[in-house]
Amino acid sequence: MTTSNLDYLPALSGFDYLAPKTVKEACSLLSKYEGKAKVIAGGTDLLVSMKKQQISPQYLVNIKGIPRLEYIKYTQKDGLKIGALATLQSIASSPIIKEKFGLLSTACNKIGTPQVRNMGTIGGNICNAGPSQDSIPALLVLDANLKLVSLKAERVVPVDKFLIAPFQTALKEAELLTEIQIPTPPPKSDGCYQWLTKITEADETLVGVAILVTLDTGSICKDVKIGLCSVAPTPMRARKAEEVIRGKKLESKLIEQAAQVAAEETRPRSRADYRRQMTSVLVKRAINEVWQKIK
Amino acid sequence: MKQFIKLRVNGESYEVQVEPKRLLLDVLRDNLGLTGAKKACDFGNCGSCTVLMDGKPVLSCLVLAIEAQDKDILTVEGLAKNGQLHPLQQAFVDHGAIQCGFCTPGMLMSAKALLDENPKPTQAEIKEALSGNLCRCTGYAKIIKAVEAAAQKMQGVN
Repeated sequence: MTTSNLDYLPALSGFDYLAPKTVKEACSLLSKYEGKAKVIAGGTDLLVSMKKQQISPQYLVNIKGIPRLEYIKYTQKDGLKIGALATLQSIASSPIIKEKFGLLSTACNKIGTPQVRNMGTIGGNICNAGPSQDSIPALLVLDANLKLVSLKAERVVPVDKFLIAPFQTALKEAELLTEIQIPTPPPKSDGCYQWLTKITEADETLVGVAILVTLDTGSICKDVKIGLCSVAPTPMRARKAEEVIRGKKLESKLIEQAAQVAAEETRPRSRADYRRQMTSVLVKRAINEVWQKIK
Repeated sequence: MKQFIKLRVNGESYEVQVEPKRLLLDVLRDNLGLTGAKKACDFGNCGSCTVLMDGKPVLSCLVLAIEAQDKDILTVEGLAKNGQLHPLQQAFVDHGAIQCGFCTPGMLMSAKALLDENPKPTQAEIKEALSGNLCRCTGYAKIIKAVEAAAQKMQGVN
């Protein structure tokens, strides 16, 4: 069953196009045209919504011309800093992200298609805040923080406080997401991202599981973080499942138990039974995969 | 409100007068007469509108024409040189990789970008690079073979 896009011809309503050259200018414009303006970066989500007549902003604020918002920087001390305009492709293929934050690279490489990844930005992906977006579980388990800038202030918000409801974030009207900050994981940590898709032209994620495990000596799990997408109104951490494993020695019965608890924590809307089952399957597989890697 | 924009397509400069809401795909097809890029799904799912922008495959149905200024755009019309088909185009012809031809321009552009970056791709890498281009006719096998053959030809193996 597919939704019919043939009921109407995709068409954009007219808008005024603004291209600020600084963050300050962008925030100024967003403030001036509050309620009537939308930020456009890659455009892969925004223009689709506009074509479907779901939104029709009177002003589009193109932020791609703002310099120094597209970067991937890493130091051991300060961790990873990604500019909001970094394309999904640049994150997927970044050597430093592949090496030290591999699950984020895997997740971003899953999003869309090569063309979409060349155009779409990590900032746009986060601010779109769809329930089944692949980048978010990875950012959740990596304890990512988001730098939000407005005319008067700057604030840093953790990713899990940023997502409020499907396609709704804590971003204020005249605020811009400028940077994603990810601390260096503790030593003896590794993670992975696993998923199943719907069988459609876009291969949307049906269940997505991101795991970060930190081991102590001898397979004792010092810490574990489990991030899920497409199984609740927003991507979520399976905190009860994490409690099952944290501080204990990893072994298959424990992992199965945690996987089961994770499945019970989900709140899927549709295909709920299958999604719960697959959550437990993927959580189990993911923890095992990471455990083998760090052992 | 219409404004004048300059586009650089296949090495040539064009000046067009467009409203901000015009998409690159429509400007290429309707203003510039370059009908190689196709409009099929128009939502960024099928890849038939794929063109190269500064060497990278993008979906021209989701690029505002106004955003394409100051970029180098390559369409399928820019592949052949002096009446000679690009090795990729020739390989598609030789290997039966074209049936109705609708997906072909998009496939060629994605394949060109791949070979420009990775002259010796594995089959898996070819599939990944073409994963954003859907084909309803061929079942993809001949398309993949054609890209492999073109890569070899361009490496001077054949």
